[in-house]
Amino acid sequence: MTPGERKAARIAWAVGLLVLGAIMLVDLGVHHHAHFEGDGLSFDTLPEFWPLYGFGATFVLLIVAKTLAVALKRKDTFYADD
Amino acid sequence: MRMTDYPPALILLVGVVLLPLLKGRVRWTVAFALPVIALADAWAVIQAGTDSFVPFIGMQLNPVHVHAATPVFATVFAIMVLGGLLYALNQKRESELPAACLYAGGALGVLFCGDLVSMFVFWEVMTLGSTVLIWAGRQNDSYGAGMRYFGMHAAGGVMLLMGIIIVISQRIHAGDPNPLEFRHFDAMVDSWSTLSWQSGGMWLILLGMLVNAGAPPFSSWIPDAYPQGSPSGTVMLSAFTTKTAVFTLLVAFSGVEVVIYFGLYMAIYGVIYGLLENDIRRLLSYSLVNQVGFMLVGIGIGTRLSIDGAAGHAFAHIIYKALLFMATGSVLFATGRTKMNQLGGLYKSMPVTMWCLIIGGLSISGFPFTSGFTSKSMVVQAIVNESARMAELGQPHTYLIVTWFLFEAATAGVFIDACVKLTWFVFFQKDSGLRPPEVPWNMKAAMIGFAGICIFLGFFPGPLYAILPYKAEAADYANVVFSIDHVMVMLGMLAFSGLSFFVLLPLMKRTESITLDVDWIWRRFIPKFWHDVATPILQQLASVQKLLLDFLPGNGSSDAGSMPTIVRRRLPGSWAVSVPVFMISAMLLLYLVIYFWLLPAQGG
Repeated sequence: MTPGERKAARIAWAVGLLVLGAIMLVDLGVHHHAHFEGDGLSFDTLPEFWPLYGFGATFVLLIVAKTLAVALKRKDTFYADD
Repeated sequence: MRMTDYPPALILLVGVVLLPLLKGRVRWTVAFALPVIALADAWAVIQAGTDSFVPFIGMQLNPVHVHAATPVFATVFAIMVLGGLLYALNQKRESELPAACLYAGGALGVLFCGDLVSMFVFWEVMTLGSTVLIWAGRQNDSYGAGMRYFGMHAAGGVMLLMGIIIVISQRIHAGDPNPLEFRHFDAMVDSWSTLSWQSGGMWLILLGMLVNAGAPPFSSWIPDAYPQGSPSGTVMLSAFTTKTAVFTLLVAFSGVEVVIYFGLYMAIYGVIYGLLENDIRRLLSYSLVNQVGFMLVGIGIGTRLSIDGAAGHAFAHIIYKALLFMATGSVLFATGRTKMNQLGGLYKSMPVTMWCLIIGGLSISGFPFTSGFTSKSMVVQAIVNESARMAELGQPHTYLIVTWFLFEAATAGVFIDACVKLTWFVFFQKDSGLRPPEVPWNMKAAMIGFAGICIFLGFFPGPLYAILPYKAEAADYANVVFSIDHVMVMLGMLAFSGLSFFVLLPLMKRTESITLDVDWIWRRFIPKFWHDVATPILQQLASVQKLLLDFLPGNGSSDAGSMPTIVRRRLPGSWAVSVPVFMISAMLLLYLVIYFWLLPAQGG
């Protein structure tokens, strides 16, 4: 990475985090309705639930994928002689 | 006879014969005219709303019929052919255009079928066209992938045909006045409880359709076959087979609970395999499975809003998925590469392609104010509504709540898959040193046009909602989709899923690898078993054969010392087709024998 690219990466991270912060801030002011109110579930109305759910869900999916890869990953020439 | 008495598909099928005879500008003019005329004709048929019948062994074929979902699918199929042809304008492969017309013609034909036999015929026409389109790709493994694709779809076709035969014979026995009719299988809505010998026909039809939809355990044919097309061929391939399956499932099996589970599996499977994938077009193939999974969930829910959601999402999906394949096809066209570990830094020289890919990626994720946002959300809302209804009735519905949360997780997953990961590894990450020029004008025009549709539908979904099966339901939903609550749910969820990608970036380092799938069984295990276990046994049997032949009068000089014919040669290339078709046919023949002979004897 060149010094220029390193600087651009730092700026990108800063802008990205600012946007994320802004989303969290706006989300605080929004009233979310419960999707499954009839079942007494209202945790999805908690402040910042959806950002957390998005982060957590993909985090878990990534970890599951990497765990699966331990057993199922092969070189992409695996079927080359088919 | 009037024009509206003929299936609109015939217009595209004319192209199969006509296009190889033409050259240069005339060829392209005709190629562009065909989908436009087909679209106009399709809408003339839709407006007329009449049925056309053809006598067939004492029954009536109904090749022109308008189902509730026909308008939305026919419209997007025609737009897709037009956009796909514009993108393909500068490709050199002679066979690709007629193959595309055959493929799209078959798909359009299915949409207007009022009977099961015509549906099956067009279904197989589609398989034929798509196989030729894969072969026309002339990539490293196009021939082999085409054979495997054909084998898979031939096997699915056999199941579909057998199912159709059984259903028709059952209807004739029951005195049904229209035994061939392609209509909803109401009896299947009770789901698992209907699994019996008597309902076997319906189940076979369901399975045949699910094979084409890319449902488990046969999802792997999509990432196996589609990336073997040419840049423009894959764009076409991405549109029709799976969405025609979605259409037929929507007509015949909406409300069948088991379809939800197939869909949910596909939604999660597509994300997980996509996360591990290094090839940009294979990654998109996995996310295609993921998206068809969303549609299947909508079909399985079976309410008016969920059906609108599935159909509307199919429309939006065809456009943004084609856009994504166009963008990745442009990368292949410009660099000759598709592996992410060999790409990077292309933002400098291919900005148009990059922005189009980002718009496609945002749409597939349902990012606010893109087409996926206004279409997929209908399915999401339908799950919530159905859950509330069942809660009121006191019926079990926990599976709907679980489905809903997994659905949202898969939505977040596909955002990092098809949007963040793709953009990052192709256009940023390390500088690969590649500085290819942007692709030709026609490819850019097709991409920009489709990106425009993605954005337009994100802000103004009205025209799409107006052609959905239950347009009133979708129109009512328009207020919910743009509520600040809904916008912030999606924005918060997707933005922070993007953060998790960058947090875990060190884990995402690209390697030249694939992830094994169920197809390992027939691509590796069975051939290896045949070679290493079955063949040695059969070779031993050769001595027995020799002994037996020597006993036969006049066979003393026979070539009995050699191996039995069956093991003398290595498995031929056609193995991929013949074995699955043979096995499925044998299995189904057995089923037919049991069904027709044994059951009546038991009073079944």
